[in-house]
Amino acid sequence: MTELKLQGVPVNDVYTGMKERNVKDSTAKLAAAHVTIAGCGGLETNISLALTRIGVGHLTLIDFDEVELSNLNRQQFKFSQVGMPKVQAMKQNLQEVNPFVTVDAIQTEVTAENVPELFADADIICEAFDNPAAKALLLENASTEFPEKPLVMGTGMAGIHSSNEITTKHLRENLYIAGDGVSKGMEGLMAPRVMICAGHEANMITRLILGAE
Amino acid sequence: MVTVNGTKEEGKAGLSVADLLAQRAVAVENVVVELNGEIIHRAEFAQTQLKDNDKVELISFVGGGR
Repeated sequence: MTELKLQGVPVNDVYTGMKERNVKDSTAKLAAAHVTIAGCGGLETNISLALTRIGVGHLTLIDFDEVELSNLNRQQFKFSQVGMPKVQAMKQNLQEVNPFVTVDAIQTEVTAENVPELFADADIICEAFDNPAAKALLLENASTEFPEKPLVMGTGMAGIHSSNEITTKHLRENLYIAGDGVSKGMEGLMAPRVMICAGHEANMITRLILGAE
Repeated sequence: MVTVNGTKEEGKAGLSVADLLAQRAVAVENVVVELNGEIIHRAEFAQTQLKDNDKVELISFVGGGR
């Protein structure tokens, strides 16, 4: 039997090589996890990129929109992807980074009606919207439909305020909210601070998967 | 006495959740309300009356992220 290779390298060597610097005993737990992320923009593209790099096995991306020029100052899309459905563009980017991750791309708007179906298979639900009403809608519906699933959210990452004002709060069982809680999108949103909040959400998800929380 | 986000407040018993949000100028669409640990769906804000010793958590969101 011929050995399966990726770009000339045996596939097992690629897999183990990519995990070499991961935290001890994390690989199997990360590979078994399914995280569903609602909203595909400044938060989601940075969160999913981080989770893809460490080898979270299954990601579902949900968004109705297409990539625009105004997204590129903070979202992990490329100029060549302007006009593409965001979830398709991000799926492509994630698979280029880590071919071992399963990415489902769902181009739809999250509503009270479709929450039960969209998040049924998720181990962890991640909120990455920009619209505060969409954030509230997801919390209201996901938390009542799936009280047993951890929900990781973000609010307040705009402007150029101190990085250190962004924290992760554990509000109650299965609810974690990252951000500064106050800065509004109309102040402007730029990659450095949005990535800090995304990093908070991604690290919280990682801690939940690995049982650190 | 009703506890709102951890602070005991006088004169809130008898108000509806919708009244409380209006008093605090909270945008109804951007908030999730938990009453004694249970989420109150926004359709029920007007009919839900606050009682003495209730604990209310208002979880508000600001824009930015997608």
